[in-house]
Amino acid sequence: MLQLTPQTIRIVDFYDDGTDSRHFTFEPIGFALESPIAIGQFFMLTVPSRGLAPFTYTSFPDEQGRFNALIRKVGKLTDQLFTCKKGDLLGYNGPYGNGWPLAEINQKEVLIVAGGCGLAPVTTAIDYLIDQGRANSVTLLYASRDQESQVLKQERERWQSKINVYETLDIQGDKDHSGLPTEHLSAVLNKVDHHPDILLTCGPEAMMSNVAKMCVDLGFKSTDIWMSIERRMRCGVGLCGHCYIGSTYACKQGPTYRYDEFLALEKANTVAHLYPQYFQYC
Amino acid sequence: MLNDIYLLKDLSILNAHLAQHYSVVRLAKDTDGEVTWTEQAGATSAPLFGHANLPLTSPKAFFFPEQESLYKFDGKTFETIHPKVKPIVLFGVQACDLTAIAYQDQFFKHDPYYQTRRDSVLLVGIDCEAPCKNGFCAEVNAGPHVNSATADLILSRLKIDDRTNTSEWLIVASSEKGVDSLRDLTLEKADEGHFKLRTKLGDQVRSQFADFSYISNAIEYLNDKSIPAQLWEELSVRCLSCSGCTNLCPTCSCYSTFEVIEAEPISNTLEFETVRCWDSCLFESFQREASDHNPSHKAAQRVERFWFHKFSDEYLPEFERHGCVGCGRCEQTCPGTIGVHSVMKRIDEVCCN
Repeated sequence: MLQLTPQTIRIVDFYDDGTDSRHFTFEPIGFALESPIAIGQFFMLTVPSRGLAPFTYTSFPDEQGRFNALIRKVGKLTDQLFTCKKGDLLGYNGPYGNGWPLAEINQKEVLIVAGGCGLAPVTTAIDYLIDQGRANSVTLLYASRDQESQVLKQERERWQSKINVYETLDIQGDKDHSGLPTEHLSAVLNKVDHHPDILLTCGPEAMMSNVAKMCVDLGFKSTDIWMSIERRMRCGVGLCGHCYIGSTYACKQGPTYRYDEFLALEKANTVAHLYPQYFQYC
Repeated sequence: MLNDIYLLKDLSILNAHLAQHYSVVRLAKDTDGEVTWTEQAGATSAPLFGHANLPLTSPKAFFFPEQESLYKFDGKTFETIHPKVKPIVLFGVQACDLTAIAYQDQFFKHDPYYQTRRDSVLLVGIDCEAPCKNGFCAEVNAGPHVNSATADLILSRLKIDDRTNTSEWLIVASSEKGVDSLRDLTLEKADEGHFKLRTKLGDQVRSQFADFSYISNAIEYLNDKSIPAQLWEELSVRCLSCSGCTNLCPTCSCYSTFEVIEAEPISNTLEFETVRCWDSCLFESFQREASDHNPSHKAAQRVERFWFHKFSDEYLPEFERHGCVGCGRCEQTCPGTIGVHSVMKRIDEVCCN
């Protein structure tokens, strides 16, 4: 049987990490995080009196079970979370969902395109590849609104000397570092020694859609393009129905989808979902 | 199964027998003519037939209540609120609603709340004797006779003697639970002939249904994706987002959660209870995220989604049938007249040309 009742976690610490964003450290109270967590999986966080919402792990539990999550303040639940202090108690359910395709990224040269907070779900993938001694095979293109809103500063600094990192800003950047990620894809691919053949992307859906299309044009197979899709969720275990994408639920069959499968799911509907021409990074 | 078929003239004997172990819930008509599921101890009359008195609500709320507490937080830990259940017999459920219960049994297979409630219920099905007003169960393989895999006991009226105003009922115990429920009740054994008569009567009812081929056609159009987006736009203009269809649909199961905050907590901490309540995929906010990104912001997307969920072949691997059981309640309730018949007819009209 599924367990819908959360377990208790405590806020150990947090620090500001980009506009309206905080990097939290949580620890389990009275239970052990037993099941192994895969890169790109998520958990449901219950904020007392505000309900529950999905967030991703930015680090795996250490010996004490402490793990991190990057959270941006965008709604009622996160507003409440940002009033919480160190030591406050929250609820936890997880780990849930399917993460990034481990077998595939183990064998391929990896391009990661992240937008805004979309950097959070790829963090554990980057750290995993570095730990595997495959830093040379990782290229990251990170797009955000402006310098202040860039998240995961410490992680990016740590990665700087290990993997190929390219950054672009909507505003503020110089000529080589401004505009949408799609404006930089070809140039980035030309610069790297090992030509990437698998894409992991996370960010606004409109951005992921454009990046995926362009990567297909640039020679990526659609079966080598993976996107982490965000949906509103009320349970995380395939019951509440909110996170549907075609006949799947993002919490169960996702949140990581292979591009060709995602397109097939979207085609099940004849009313097209049109992405806005302009989007903002969350 | 032929070992567990019996004959009974007076159903109140069965009713009284089951009442020893279960609270008996049957259809009852109130003074306004509204038909509802009501607890009736010691009922002696024959149960109401769904075909003549289709209750506005299916029995889904017995297993998946409109609101239900899931867990509570006392400031320190979360504690599960287990559903309080008592043994209930639903006496006289028609085939379409039983098919829907079987569908939800599959969907909520791992939901502890649903399963606790479900385990406490004995399902006594009743074979419909005529098509009901909006029903098309035969077209979607959900009736008019009860599928034995969906009930514990099945009641089927074989004969009516107008002169003495008595009936002869065939009782089929179609599950282990059903067989157990009849223990210590002395019943006359039925034979193969009676069972064949039931099948024959079922075929007769089936032949009385109107021609619903437009529904089968529309299901095909829906699955080969030949419905123009414009048609969904046209239909969605009439959706008021009232959630009447999703509330009454016996297979709809989407829910939301909310918190009930303890006004005067015992300790100086925030105490609350998390409650789940029925939600509707037709609400504009159903998928809207905190960032305002809404993957189904157009009413046309949401209306298409509802029918996709009811009739798409993509759900067959999991449920071995479509989500619609042909009860016709959405047609009955939709204030915008885009219930199942109206929508399927329109799809058939537009797509066959």
